[in-house]
Amino acid sequence: MTAGLKTNLPVFIVVIPMFVAFMLPTFARRIKWIEGTVAAVKLLGLAAAAWLAHMVLYEKDFPVKYIMGGWPAPWGIELVIGNLAALFILTIAIVSLPVALFARDNLEKEVGPKQRIARFYVLYLLLIGALAGMAITNDLFNVFVLVEVVTLSCCGLVSSRKGHGAAKAAFNYLILATLGSALVLGGIGFIYILTGHLNMEFASAELGRVWQSSPHTVWMALSFLFVGFGVKAALFPLHVWLPDAHSMAPSPASALLSGLAIKGYIISFMKILYVIFGHTLMQEYGIYRILILIGMVAIIIGSLSALLQKRLKRRLAFSTVAQVGYLFLGLGLANKEGLMGTLLYLVSHAVIKSLLFLAAGAVISATGKENIRDLAGVGRKMPIAMGTFTIASLSLIGLPLLSGFIGKWHLVLGSLGAGDILSVTVIIIGSILCAAYLLPIIRIAYFEPAPEADWQDPGLPQKAALILLAAGVVLLGVLPGPFIELAGRAAAELLLIQ
Amino acid sequence: MKELLEKVVINYPYLAAGILFAIGVLTVLTRSNVFKKLIGINIMESCVFLLFVSAGNIKGGNVPILDTANPKPVYVNPLPSALMLTGIVVSVSVTAFALALIIRLYNSYGTTDLRRIGEMDYEVKKK
Repeated sequence: MTAGLKTNLPVFIVVIPMFVAFMLPTFARRIKWIEGTVAAVKLLGLAAAAWLAHMVLYEKDFPVKYIMGGWPAPWGIELVIGNLAALFILTIAIVSLPVALFARDNLEKEVGPKQRIARFYVLYLLLIGALAGMAITNDLFNVFVLVEVVTLSCCGLVSSRKGHGAAKAAFNYLILATLGSALVLGGIGFIYILTGHLNMEFASAELGRVWQSSPHTVWMALSFLFVGFGVKAALFPLHVWLPDAHSMAPSPASALLSGLAIKGYIISFMKILYVIFGHTLMQEYGIYRILILIGMVAIIIGSLSALLQKRLKRRLAFSTVAQVGYLFLGLGLANKEGLMGTLLYLVSHAVIKSLLFLAAGAVISATGKENIRDLAGVGRKMPIAMGTFTIASLSLIGLPLLSGFIGKWHLVLGSLGAGDILSVTVIIIGSILCAAYLLPIIRIAYFEPAPEADWQDPGLPQKAALILLAAGVVLLGVLPGPFIELAGRAAAELLLIQ
Repeated sequence: MKELLEKVVINYPYLAAGILFAIGVLTVLTRSNVFKKLIGINIMESCVFLLFVSAGNIKGGNVPILDTANPKPVYVNPLPSALMLTGIVVSVSVTAFALALIIRLYNSYGTTDLRRIGEMDYEVKKK
């Protein structure tokens, strides 16, 4: 029994949320039941993710290949449960549990009546399941299907907000995201045409043999995948959908979209780049330089645009554009420290940005004000919401002992290792700009006189969610041991270092 | 030059897919009417399906059903077509979802033109 559970655990992590998702609408009238079920699924998911990470860290026989339906590769679909998968699944579990807690009793204002809340949870569970699937799958077409599930559930989450602004944001997001998925599918098609395989490792081996005879098709595949995932992950010139979509979504959904959904695409892109194309081809085609360059531009322009925003949630959304720049920069550094930096920054940004969005959501729903200027004195009236917001801001800026620091530290080490002084400078400038757009919010909230208004901290579940995430931010900074170990091993695996 | 032309003529489905893809992307990016955007998306996706299916096709190939009594020399690769069935399902669901959003947009703005919608939002913001 335990052995069967252990071998099939990765599949359960993906399938159970999806299975439960489609059962939820049957008891849509009992919101309490739905919330209880979702919480139970998420607790189970956290336990399973922790168990998986523990197994991957301390047992010898990992990474394990799981064969779906008994058909061995290259015919069947293969799942690889390695360090990268364990790291991302753990992140998903850590972030999604507090988000579910925050959504409890809190959606009526933003989403509407019970039926709509039930659908919100359906999309939430689908998103979580598909993201976990992206982390473990080793099959290209499977990647496409999961990308589509994530995209559709994200658009659904954006459109679940009441009012017409959300419909418009969701429509624009849907159009651009579908453009991205058509490009991803085209890229996968070119790889399939070249190699005849959909399994990543077989495709990689075959590509190593044939790429010299058709270099232009490899170019096409690379550029289609780059632009496709770039649109989905909101890489700088292709980020136009993000500010609207992320600021219009209901707060728990914003937290998931900014914190997790984008990271799923980046993990998939990372796997495709490093597992299929590999170091030689990427160097041959100059992808590294493009990644670093676009990453640097994204950091600077994203931060400057965030600085210009007057509304709180839009500022946070533009901040995400800047942080995506760091992740792509780390992908382009092509050494172990750089990749570790990307992975660690990905984990810490997932926790930090969801905390920022949740705290901002709590503040906005209590005060009814969206402009940063109008939030004077809110820090003294809502100590928990603004206190956790402050912790997250300091961590995003990169103060030592908080989680953002570790990722940035490894990115700097990676840039130094690659001999790239310019990107070190850009990382530091990015941090300064980050302080420039986040600290004024805190100054206004704490040091300006408050108006006579009845602003209060949110209810108990919301407070608990904020405190849990803030504890996560601090713990990741103080005791990052297992995460650094997982990220280091995953980076070594991707770069084929023994 | 002649060689290149010959290659293009032999691989005409790929050429068609490329042209259709360009048409689809242009439609999506330049038209402001939501229905035209949606049609552009559909053209684009269909041409990716065309790319896959033509990659699996072999001229003169047989239906890939194994007949042990009289085996055929060449079979068509069935995998891309099977994959594209999934792709078509995804595309249909995207279209359905987009149509639902269009209904919501039309109900709240009274128009299906994204430029007009943008102008209306801008005016509301100015007030």
